[in-house]
This record gives sequence, C-alpha cells and structure tokens, in this order.
Amino acid sequence: AHSEESSPPICSLLTVGQAFSGTQNVSNLQKEEAWRVNVRIQGCDLEHGYLCGTMEALNVPMADTPVVTFWEGEIVDAKNYTFYTGKWEATPEDDIRHWTKFPSFAPLLSRVEADGGKSLDLSNYPYIFMRWKEQYFVNVGTDCGLTIAGFYYVCFSCSDGSINGFYYDPNS
Amino acid sequence: MPTTTASAVCTTVGNNILLRLTSGERDVKLKALRELKNQIIGNRTKKLSFLKLGAVPAVAGILSDAVSAVDVADNDENDRIVKDIIVQSAAVLGSFACGFEAGVRAVLDAGADILIQRGCLVEEMPLLKSYMEVVDAGARSLKMIYQSKMAPKYDFLQEENMEFLLSLLNNESENVSGLGASIISHSCKTSLEQKLLFDAGVLKRLTSLLGGSLIQRDASLESIATIFKNNPEVVSQFVGPDTGRTLSCIIEIVKDRFARTRLLASLCLIVIRNASPCYLQDVGIKTKLINNLLELLDDPGRVGDEASFAFSSLIAEKEDMQKLAFEVNGVDKLYNHLQKGSLHPRRFEGILLALADMCSKLECCRSRCLSLQVLKLVVDALAHDSSDVRSAACMCLRSVSRSIKNLSAGSFMNETIVIPLVRLLDDTSTAVQVAALGAISNIVVDFTTRRSTFIRLGGVKLLVQLSKSMDSTIRLNALRALRNLIFLAEDKCKEEIFMELTASLLASLICDPEPSVQEQALALVRNLVDGRINSVEYIFAEDGIILDAVGRQLRIASKAEIEIQGMYVLGNVATGKESHKEAVMDQLLLRAENKAQSCIIKFLQSNDSRLRTAAVWAVLNLTCSSSPGSSGRLVKLHDAGIVSHVKNMVNDPCLDVKLRVKTALEQFNSFDDSLV
Repeated sequence: AHSEESSPPICSLLTVGQAFSGTQNVSNLQKEEAWRVNVRIQGCDLEHGYLCGTMEALNVPMADTPVVTFWEGEIVDAKNYTFYTGKWEATPEDDIRHWTKFPSFAPLLSRVEADGGKSLDLSNYPYIFMRWKEQYFVNVGTDCGLTIAGFYYVCFSCSDGSINGFYYDPNS
Repeated sequence: MPTTTASAVCTTVGNNILLRLTSGERDVKLKALRELKNQIIGNRTKKLSFLKLGAVPAVAGILSDAVSAVDVADNDENDRIVKDIIVQSAAVLGSFACGFEAGVRAVLDAGADILIQRGCLVEEMPLLKSYMEVVDAGARSLKMIYQSKMAPKYDFLQEENMEFLLSLLNNESENVSGLGASIISHSCKTSLEQKLLFDAGVLKRLTSLLGGSLIQRDASLESIATIFKNNPEVVSQFVGPDTGRTLSCIIEIVKDRFARTRLLASLCLIVIRNASPCYLQDVGIKTKLINNLLELLDDPGRVGDEASFAFSSLIAEKEDMQKLAFEVNGVDKLYNHLQKGSLHPRRFEGILLALADMCSKLECCRSRCLSLQVLKLVVDALAHDSSDVRSAACMCLRSVSRSIKNLSAGSFMNETIVIPLVRLLDDTSTAVQVAALGAISNIVVDFTTRRSTFIRLGGVKLLVQLSKSMDSTIRLNALRALRNLIFLAEDKCKEEIFMELTASLLASLICDPEPSVQEQALALVRNLVDGRINSVEYIFAEDGIILDAVGRQLRIASKAEIEIQGMYVLGNVATGKESHKEAVMDQLLLRAENKAQSCIIKFLQSNDSRLRTAAVWAVLNLTCSSSPGSSGRLVKLHDAGIVSHVKNMVNDPCLDVKLRVKTALEQFNSFDDSLV
C-alpha cells in the first residue's frame, strides 16, 4: 500500500508479470488493419507513477516476425502526473479529446478541465489512466518501417483487467 | 672488512638507550628518554624494535617512580628534573601509541594510561598541576591512546569520571580540552551515555570550542557528532535559544580552509540531519553539503578517502538528496574520480558505494551511469584484491541493474558481467557472496530467453549450493536470486532449475527456521507453479511434499508476508486441473491444532489488504464457472463458513479486495442460488 491517499488504487491485475492480449486497430481512408497485440508488464513503481513493459504486435503487414517494443508508462495519479501530458507535442486540447473517448473518463471531465485533475481523489476510482510511450524496438531494427514516435492514451479497468487505448502521433 | 648490518647497529643503539634508562642518575635517564623520543617519533620500524626490547614497561616504570618522587619536594632543581622526566616519559609513551596498534597494546598492558591520567592530570597533584607542560604532555599522550579502538572504555556513568571529564573540557589548554573531546568521541556509544553527556551540559562547552584553535574545533566537531548520532531525542532536546547559533556556527565551518575540518563539519551536520530530519531542510544548505563533499573528493589523502563515505551517509535512502546530487552532476563527478585508476582501496570502495547510493532509487542516475560506461570500471572492480571493493562493486551493480529499461534491453545479462559475478559466489568473504547474490538477484530478472546464459555458466548449481548454507543470510539471498531467476521462466529453464533444487530441498526451505527464508522459498514456489498448467505439477513431485509443506506453513505462520506468498501458491495451483483444485481444497480445509476454523478465514479477516486479496483470489480460482467441479467445491467452502465471510467483504475498504469479492459473488450466483 502507498501512503498517498488520492492516488489510484493498487490493483492485483496490474502488477509485474501480468500479461494482456488484444488487438490494435488502424483505421483510416487508406487502410484498415487489426494487429494482434500482447502486452506484458515488467515494472511497476506506483510511488513514482511509473509502469513499463513490452508490447508484441503480431501479423503486422510490413514485418515478417512479431515486432516487440519496450514502453514506459506514466500513471495519472495527480501526484506525479496529471491528465495533461505537457510534452510529446500533445496540447491540452489533444489530451481532453483523447481522454473523452473513454466512457469512464466522463465523470472526471469537468474537474480535469478546471485544474488538470490535480484535486481529484482517484483512490477509489476503479479505472487507472496512463500514457504509454514506446522507447525502443526489442527485436527488430528501426528500419522496420514502423514508428514509435507517438504515445498511447490508456485506460485500465481494475474490475476486469481490460485495457483500452488510443495512439496519438501528430506526424503519423 | 664486512660492516655490521643496519638492524645490528640499531639494536646496539637501542640497548644503549635502554641501559641508560635504568641509570640511577636522573640526568642520564632524562637524556636517554629524550633520545628515545627522537628515535621513535614518526618511525614505525623503530617503534617496533624498541617495543621488542621492552622499552614500554621500562618507561612506564620511570614514569611511576617520577610521579611518586613528586611528593618528596626537596628542592626546585629536583622538582624541575622530576617534572621533565614525567613530561618526556609521557611523551614517549604517547608516541608509541600514536597510530601504532602494537604500541597501544603495550602501553595499555603496562597500565601506562592510568599512570598518565593520575600522574599528569588528577587533582591530588597540586604541585604538578601548576606545571602546564606536565598536564599538556599527559593530555597529548592520552589523546593518542584514545584515538585507538583499543583504548579502554571510559565509564561516563561514574560520577567522578563525569566530573573529571568536565574539568578536562573546561581547561584552557587545547590539548586538555581536546583530550576531553577525544574521550567522548571514543567512548560514547549508547543512547544513555549520549543523554548523560547532554544533560551534563557538555554541548555548551563543545560549542564554544568550535571558535577555538584548529585542534579544539576538530575535536569538538567529532564529539558533537558522537553525542547526536542516531539519537533523535537528544537532537530534539537541542532545541533552544542556543540551537540556531550552534547550527549556523557549524554551517560556517563547512567553508573552513582546512579540508579535514570541512569534512568533520559536514559529518556533524549529516548526523544531526539523519537523527532529526526536521533540521537542515533548506535546499541551499543541502546543496552546500553535497557540493562540499564532492569537492573534498579532490583531497588526495585520508580526507578524500572518507569524503565519499560521508556523501553516502548524506544521501542513502533519501531520494530528495539523490536528486539534488544528480542536478549538480554528482554522478559525473564520482565517475571522474573512478576513472583516475590506481585508487587506494578505501577510496575505491567509497566511490563505488556512493554511486550505488546515487543509483538506488533514481532512474536518471542509472541512465547517466550507463551512458558514462561506468559498468566497465565496476566489472573490473569485481576482481579487485580487496574484499570491500569487490563488495562495493556488487552493490553498485545491484543499484544500476534496478533499471528495468536496461535489464529488458539485455545490458546486464552478458558474459562480461555474469562470469565475474558468478565467480564471486565462491568468494572467501561472506559479505562479498551476499553482495554478489544481491546483484545477481536483479540481473536474472529476464523477460526473454537470456537467462539461459546464467544457467549455462553454472549459476544455478552455485545458487542451489548456497541455498543450503549454514549462514541464513546466504540462504535467504540465494533463494531470492533463484526466485527471480524462475520468474516467468520458460518450461525448459524451470525444469533445469527444479532438477537442481529438488522437491525435498524446497520443502525443507519452506519449513526453514528463519521466517524470511520461508517467505522466499514460498515466493519461489509461487513463481515455479505460475504459467502453464503443467507447471503446477511441480508442487506434486515426490508425493506432494512441497504442497504439504506450504499447507503446513499456512496453518502455523504468523507473519503476513509468509501467509501472502503461501496463499498465492495455493491460488496459482487452483488454476490447474480438477485434481489440482481438489488438492488445494484439502489443504485449505485441513485445520491446524486447536483451531476451530480454516486458516483462510483468518486471512480473509486480516488487517492486511494484501492478504485479504490473496485469499479472495484463491477462492475465485477454486470456484470459476468453467470448471466442472466448482459447484461441489462451493458447497464445501460454504459449509466451512468461507463463503459467508467473503459475502461480508462486499464493502471492503480496499478497492482491489472489493472488486475481487464482487467477481467472486457473481461467480457464486452463477451456481445454485440456495447456497448463497
């Protein structure tokens, strides 16, 4: 247990070693793709609002093997990080636009617009909001044709361990 | 013609001096004492030669006679010679004791410390007390004796001793007051002694000595630090009208022109701050201290050697201090010193430990270390002659390898690092073995297939061997390393590790006399049975002795950490086949002697939310809807009163527990309604 009362709760589904499977959908005018994705949590330091792990993307069209990346996460805990990113070319408007895509964010919107969510008590909220930023490719070169320049807005459900996310990269 | 050897000449001279020391004539004796003093001063070899010739008891005898002769005050001339003999013999004895342990032993064996104290300093010699030279000589000599660890312990609890000490401190002579301060620095160990000294008011005098000569200042700083060390109560009583003055006085001295004084002042402030963090909170002072110590590293002598240890005590376990140190390029500065090469072992050890502390909590420090290629120097240090350096190198590696980003990238699991580390598992020093185990515990945390490098290099065999050590610290740390090695390991790796460990060893470690060893053993089993369903089979090896041991520990343990690991073992086994789940049920429903309820009920009611979580997970896994035997198990759990306990937890204050309970109740409801 950590001492900060307003930080998101510990959840046994979001701990080192936990693995998640799902899909990453890419949908625009040019194409529609669904990559199978496996995520593994490798590090978790709630005191510093830090999480890290790997993401493995399978059946990526331009790659002949699964592509594994290592990412680091910021947990929105009103202590270390707020809902406002403040970097990676994401403006507060971009932030609000993305967080609002998660239904679980709706009750928090007005407080976040007021002060970034600094005064929120997230200790009993059954969702954990994060930003995940990929740091490097683990098993392929940077010339693999894929980009890790952007980051994900992520929402984790403490009830059932499901994860949803939206990728943001202004240059992609 | 052959000449005599140097040592033969020395012995001749030596014997001559000693002969003259026994002379009945005081003038001859005095001259011999002076010659002896000049021979041995700063000369260790000569000290040893004269020691072997029996000089110390001889001189002690002379001192004793001279002190007795004082009572017989016949004329001024004799007084003067007697005084000179006392001064010179005290000086000789002090010189033997100066930085020379064999000399200290000889002086103490001859009872010379008591002689000097009585002869030179005690009240009953008013005649001599007026001769400051005698007092000074005695004080100087005793101070040298008190600089040694072997010096007798001063008993502060005796009232007359405390009075004597205060008289020393209040004396105008810097040697005498310095002696008082040395006695405190040497002998004050317990919090009771610290309190006694504080209550006797020594701090006031020590504070005024801060404004005295260099000797008085240094001695006073050491004594103040000794009185405050690890004693928040004494430090808090320090609050008063004088506090600000003393503290600001010491803060000023941090800028003193003498390096040793700067170091002592810094150490004093660090001691105060560590005992009571409410003091010295100002960022400016913290930064000043950090910068001061980093600069002191430049000193080529003992001060530079010790500066890094002081730096460590300033930043250890304190993230805010580590951050400040990082911002003033602390990592780079330490690295620059490391790069110099041919470092004195003490200095090398100190810098490595300082880097270990810098990297203990902050990723930015670890990244900086790695980008500076500190690892190469640290790996070289793993093979150093000094065990302290080897140990410190391991601790540094342990801190830096906390970087998961770099662990994941495979920065540590390579032969350059693993081979020398594994070698240290066989080190002659236990401390080095434990430190190496600490580093290995981190490095083997691997999320790919790299751990096979460690196995291939014989690491597992050594770890298993160490887990059987008579030394519980080694057993504990070896188990921790094995636990981490087996975490998320592939099937083949697990098999290799298990074959080396064996079920019987694991079962006995689960029942180890040391609770912390039990905890690690259970955590290891938890990792062993995690993963694919066939991993669960390990716990049933050799007629299920591991599972029986786990169940037994759960029924008798009282430490939460053990109970948590044990419950997660059962929880993991409960994700297996029907037979696995039934085996868990058998363990859970078995009752300990004199206990009316199953242990899991105790865990569900625990104040520790982690334990409640672990218990609910086990229940969840036993009653999952997709398993055919779940409804039968639910009936048994209900009859044992477990289901109603879970129901009562629907509004648990811990959100994680609450959400698991919600899922459990949904599961229960999917079966026959009449049960819930």
